[in-house]
Amino acid sequence: MRLFKLLVPILISIILIVLDARFSYLDNFKRFTLTLLSPIYFVVDLPSHVVDWVNDQGSEKAQLVSEKEYLEGKLTELKVRLQSYNNLVLENQKLTQLLDATYTIPEHQITLAHVKSISQSRLKKQIIINKGSKDGVRNTQLIVGSDGVVGKVTQVTPLYSTVLLITDPTQHMPVKNVRNGIRGVTKGIATNERGMIVEFIPLDSDVKLGDIFVTSGIGTTYPPGYLVGEVSKVDKPPNEAFLTITLKPMQIMDKLEFIFIVSEKND
Amino acid sequence: MTKNSSLILLTKITIIALIVGAISLPSVLEIVSPFWMLVFFIYWIIYTDSKALYFYALILGLLTDMLQGSILGQNALALLISSAFIFSVKKSFYVSNLTTQQVYIFIASIIYLIVLILTHIAIQGFDFSWLILLSAFTGSIIWPLVRLSLAKLKH
Repeated sequence: MRLFKLLVPILISIILIVLDARFSYLDNFKRFTLTLLSPIYFVVDLPSHVVDWVNDQGSEKAQLVSEKEYLEGKLTELKVRLQSYNNLVLENQKLTQLLDATYTIPEHQITLAHVKSISQSRLKKQIIINKGSKDGVRNTQLIVGSDGVVGKVTQVTPLYSTVLLITDPTQHMPVKNVRNGIRGVTKGIATNERGMIVEFIPLDSDVKLGDIFVTSGIGTTYPPGYLVGEVSKVDKPPNEAFLTITLKPMQIMDKLEFIFIVSEKND
Repeated sequence: MTKNSSLILLTKITIIALIVGAISLPSVLEIVSPFWMLVFFIYWIIYTDSKALYFYALILGLLTDMLQGSILGQNALALLISSAFIFSVKKSFYVSNLTTQQVYIFIASIIYLIVLILTHIAIQGFDFSWLILLSAFTGSIIWPLVRLSLAKLKH
């Protein structure tokens, strides 16, 4: 009987693991339960709220502090927009030279959010942000910081969202080399906090140290033109079909405070 | 301990474990930090006489999975198997000195870690930081502090 009492929950766990890993039947249930659990994030964040509140109260500089925060947010926002535009200018120059063509510049809407906590899972690299479905956040939306891509939204509750970082080994993002347009797919490295690799780039491709990779926009999940990383190492393994390219992410994840949620203008 | 007071203690332990587990730490500390839910739940197993032990282990494991964004059932399976080990040595654990208890916590944490890593490998491949192996040590190191804090909470 005791063994039966143990085996039934073990069996349930295994079934849940298979269902969750292979299918998406449990997504609604997870979202609902996570919404019920979201006050935990609020409690964890309470001390910093209290400190902020005490600092703001009775301070003669409160107005200045608030203005400073607003301007910091605005500056970060402008840097994010600049990433996209710099890349588009380069592309535009290339296309103008080669084809004498014109093309439309995609307009993206970006929403400011604060990082609440960085990673609470030892097997995943993720952050929690203070915007949720109430603010229009949806799964798979691209998240960028002032210097480059941060990751994508993987879980959404009404008040909070979870963002899987691009440095996580399960995160794959289509990218291209700004210099010559060579395309690949990034993947995080579990053993390296500040590293990614680019897969599926053939051995004879022209990739140099210092090359910049940006989102390619292939697959329509991620908008194109946002900075991803800089090539820090290029290896040509003798018996492999592809180059082993190591990228240093443009965005330093440890210093994240403000991030932006990118969505299409018509979303 | 009555059934009611046992459930109240379990509720308190669950809330504290979820909050402590959700606190943001630098990435290295995050990886080596103890399995909070396991360490807290072990205290509850040792000092209460619940017959629905595995049911509660399943629920708490699922809550941990959801809060951590892990695959649903991953922490639940690990918590269930570790709890079964602790339950099998419960009498010995109860009368042991602190050092022996730490050894039991270490073994339970190792079991938890093995299950967690095996499910991770099965689903996502052999890709994780080796630092995670240290989390079994930190669990046993932190045990005296957890025991002291929860003893105060119990009363």
